[in-house]
Amino acid sequence: MILKIAWKNVWRSRGRSLVVMGAIVVGIWALLFGTGFMNGFMVGYMADIINHDVSNMQIHNPEFKNDYDIKFYIPDGNKKVEEVRNWPGVKGATTRIIVNGMIASSRNASGVQIRGIDVQHEAIVTQLDSLIFEGAYFEGIKKNPIIIGKKLAEDLKVKIRTKIVLTFNDGNGYITSAAFRVAGIVKSSSIKINGQYVFVRQEDLNKVLSNGNNVHEIAIVTDSRIDEELLVNKYNAIYPGDLAESWRVIAPELAFMQEMYGQMLYILLVIIMTALVFGIVNTMLMAVLERMRELGMLMAIGMSKLRVFVMVLVETIYLSIIGAPVGLFAGWLTIRYYQNVGVDLTEYSEGLAAFGYSSILYPYLDADAYIVVTIGVVITAFVGAIYPAWKAVKLNPVEALHKI
Amino acid sequence: MSVIKVENITKVYTETAVPVHALNGVSFEIQEGEFTAIVGPSGCGKTTLLNILGGLDHPTSGRVEISNIDITEMKDSDLINFRLNNIGFVFQAYNLIPVLTTLENVEFIMLLQKVDKKKRRKRSMDLLEQMGIAEKANQRPSELSGGQQQRVAVARALASKPNFILADEPTANLDSVSTSNLLDIMAVMNREEKETFIFSTHDQRVIDKARRVITLEDGRVKSDEIRE
Ligand SMILES: Nc1ncnc2c1ncn2[C@@H]1O[C@H](COP(=O)(O)OP(=O)(O)O)[C@@H](O)[C@H]1O
Ligand SMILES: [Mg+2]
Repeated sequence: MILKIAWKNVWRSRGRSLVVMGAIVVGIWALLFGTGFMNGFMVGYMADIINHDVSNMQIHNPEFKNDYDIKFYIPDGNKKVEEVRNWPGVKGATTRIIVNGMIASSRNASGVQIRGIDVQHEAIVTQLDSLIFEGAYFEGIKKNPIIIGKKLAEDLKVKIRTKIVLTFNDGNGYITSAAFRVAGIVKSSSIKINGQYVFVRQEDLNKVLSNGNNVHEIAIVTDSRIDEELLVNKYNAIYPGDLAESWRVIAPELAFMQEMYGQMLYILLVIIMTALVFGIVNTMLMAVLERMRELGMLMAIGMSKLRVFVMVLVETIYLSIIGAPVGLFAGWLTIRYYQNVGVDLTEYSEGLAAFGYSSILYPYLDADAYIVVTIGVVITAFVGAIYPAWKAVKLNPVEALHKI
Repeated sequence: MSVIKVENITKVYTETAVPVHALNGVSFEIQEGEFTAIVGPSGCGKTTLLNILGGLDHPTSGRVEISNIDITEMKDSDLINFRLNNIGFVFQAYNLIPVLTTLENVEFIMLLQKVDKKKRRKRSMDLLEQMGIAEKANQRPSELSGGQQQRVAVARALASKPNFILADEPTANLDSVSTSNLLDIMAVMNREEKETFIFSTHDQRVIDKARRVITLEDGRVKSDEIRE
């Protein structure tokens, strides 16, 4: 009957209880959707950067990363890439020549990283061809085609077929220039692809670079079911003179994001549940104070403190938990829906692109998250319940009865 | 047999700016089956005395024995249990749990006593019948008149089979018809069931129905008369 009284007490101030329950529903929904949304942000961003820029792992000459001198190439890089392509777990591998230089149009100039790529394998590894926004992937221009990012094209005020000049130090240390024509413009959420990289064919670059056919970077995309760290270790064991690294080392901000990814739920959970605890405690304290005489009477006629404690505790728990399934269901439904259609952020995409985010976002939430949230709500309910129940027990029946 | 024995109790409220001497050496005995009124003007110490008799408050000095058990030094947590099994209470107001029906309110105290469900139900119905409010069994207290609510409170007090029932100004909020109804029912229960009643009042019509009248003045027993 104590459970029944507690249950009925919840509905004594119907409006007030509904407000608290509503807050809990909205809180849980916001928690789930917020987490799903942030996860979508991160997963989308990470996938973009890994798929289109850094790949799962890269190989360099250990010296290369220090000063990007073109002399620090990977010895026998072209042979090694052939070998790596045959390793189990490797989906694709491509070589790059990397030279820092200047790009100039008739209107403007800018510092860039010139990437001499293996056109066919680059498409496998980074799907560079899929990012073409205007023009074509090394087609339509016979001699010295170049692909540049959308932002760079805007800065240089160039279009498809516009001639531009690349200037860089060649293998002998001489400053060299070469003319290229824009074959394609790529658009990506990566700041680097959009504005800092330019892509040319290896054979075109080699003609003017005087650096043999040597390459500076091997980028490898691996099967998603395999841990790239295993392949990194394998390569480093076979070729200790080179340096293989996973995306976690190459792009530590992504590794940080991956860590955050798991924690976002907990961070939001703590914030939202803390807010809810205050609401619940406040409401229940009001309920206890309003009912002071009744509680005094109950203790006077012989209801033990333990029973009073349990009664108020249960009442608070009812109040806190009834809304939870609704909130969980609403959150699940929203995420389910947007998981497929995506949240279109095109309206805000300029701001987002500045941070490197894509404009359609697919919220995502692990099944575990619902369990974590449920446990979080139960803990919240208990935490919120203890103080009001303790307050109720502290009432002195004589004093409580005489408060008018 | 004496159900209550108070010896020279005093009560001083010290939380106030000036200490208030609410009771100044009160002694008496109450025998089983009595129908006693504690009377006196407002502020003379009736509520204070009843609270001490009911184990709701401790005297500053003196002794209170209930059925030969000294409750003066009993711990609060033990007192709750003692009250549940030995004393019935009827307060001036706020006697009932508003979310329960009349019947459930009467059952509630037996639930606390762990009486089994069937017995509980039956005894509650019987008592409501004796109180003349059986037809209100499934209604909430708010749907009852003040007099009916007090009768439910008496039924609830009786349900626990206490040694005696304490009622602090049970008629203070009632009109004269309800007042005499309630007193008549209490008198019937006293006569037929040998229930011991101790009630406080300053209403002359209520005083007239008592068989023993203890009059307080300034925290002292001014007179104690038994009339048959
Ligand atoms: N909790 C308290 N604190 C201080 N003084 C009190 C308290 N309760 C009662 N009193 C005082 O004790 C005296 C007796 O009060 P009470 O027993 O309530 O009288 P009655 O019930 O006869 O009206 C009064 O002067 C009252 O003001
Ligand atoms: Mg009083």
